[in-house]
Amino acid sequence: MSSALEHELAELIIDFCNVEDVSAEEISPETPLIGPDSPFGLDSLDAVEVVVAVQKTYGVRIGGEQTSREVLQSLRTLAEFITREQNGG
Amino acid sequence: MKINFPHRQFAHCESGVTANLLNYHGFPCSEAMAFGIGGGLFFAYVPFIKLNFLPLTTFRTGPGSIFAKATKRLGIEIKREKFSNPDVAEQRLDRLIAEGHPVGAQTGVFWLPFFPPAYRFHFNGHNLVVIGKEGNEYLISDPIFEEPVRCPVEDLRKARFAKGALAPKGKLYYIANMPQRFDLPQAVSAGIKEVCRGMLKTPVPLAGVRGIRLLARQLVKWPGKFDEKQTLLYLGHVIRMQEEIGTGGGGFRFIYAAFLQEAADVLENDKLLDLSKHCTEIGDLWRDFALLASRVCKGRAEIQDSFHDLSQLLLQCAAEEKILFGDLQRVISD
Repeated sequence: MSSALEHELAELIIDFCNVEDVSAEEISPETPLIGPDSPFGLDSLDAVEVVVAVQKTYGVRIGGEQTSREVLQSLRTLAEFITREQNGG
Repeated sequence: MKINFPHRQFAHCESGVTANLLNYHGFPCSEAMAFGIGGGLFFAYVPFIKLNFLPLTTFRTGPGSIFAKATKRLGIEIKREKFSNPDVAEQRLDRLIAEGHPVGAQTGVFWLPFFPPAYRFHFNGHNLVVIGKEGNEYLISDPIFEEPVRCPVEDLRKARFAKGALAPKGKLYYIANMPQRFDLPQAVSAGIKEVCRGMLKTPVPLAGVRGIRLLARQLVKWPGKFDEKQTLLYLGHVIRMQEEIGTGGGGFRFIYAAFLQEAADVLENDKLLDLSKHCTEIGDLWRDFALLASRVCKGRAEIQDSFHDLSQLLLQCAAEEKILFGDLQRVISD
């Protein structure tokens, strides 16, 4: 069961990374976002686009000691990060 | 045998290993502080040196220098050893662990089985700390991972003697002796001065701000000089060096901004807080470059038009970095 934010993020990624043949409804919030097991089929170059899209849309920066590798594990970890950052870290 | 070693996860392996080793020896230290004292921030583009057939592009100083310089500036005595014989290298590691030393090791990522297959590429500059041995496995604090991991003896041996560029040659390092007192403000200032020198006053046009400008001038010619595949390989390589391999994004500029924030406290100088913000803004500018570059690599942006824009973005990064490091130099010299 995905939260509204997780669903919104799936749509954002599909839009930004031109993902075809996948709908936000099909994506489990726990599945890997990047790498060979990603249902989006995203690689590390796509990860840059996701990081920037998240920053521009939600005003939170994934960087420094908060590594994108950690945050971009799944829709769930990404949604948790955004919520945490928006609530003041 | 297992050393009670407090493991912390970080973005960058060498800075993380340095911070964790310092912490173990009684000097609390963040990753950003280790990176900053070690003078880790840099830029170099050396088109005639190829790594994996791609021009050397780096956003940090050479492997091993962060640990060496951070410890030297704090007056810490360290030992570093290299080996030609894997058996001798393994026996030495076992002896050091048995004596209670957490031991830093340079390794090749490809041979480390605890890395997910997608991340096991041929990079020989990965650092970790060996903190014990149980049966046929080493216990390892790898700062890239959330928890300590285990690695079969045979695999660590292969990783320590990986062949190719930056071959580790079994390299081990550890802290031998801690001083009674540290001069942290002095160490922080020395780290900052080194970075300013590296970015502004290099004698060759391949490094620092001049190196960024050189990349900007050369990159715009790639589509005319190489076929499309080669052009995109070169461009993808720059983004990977900037946004991956533990840089924390923006080619280490975000980590350095965090260091400047801590440095403001250590040196009791609020001007460093403004420079920290500027450094973050520069990191964002580098990210704009990476964003457009990744869109080009993915076929989401036109190659011909985009390379001019990419070059302009790099020139903008160079101009901002010239201002930042000039300001930083003045603030530290005051």
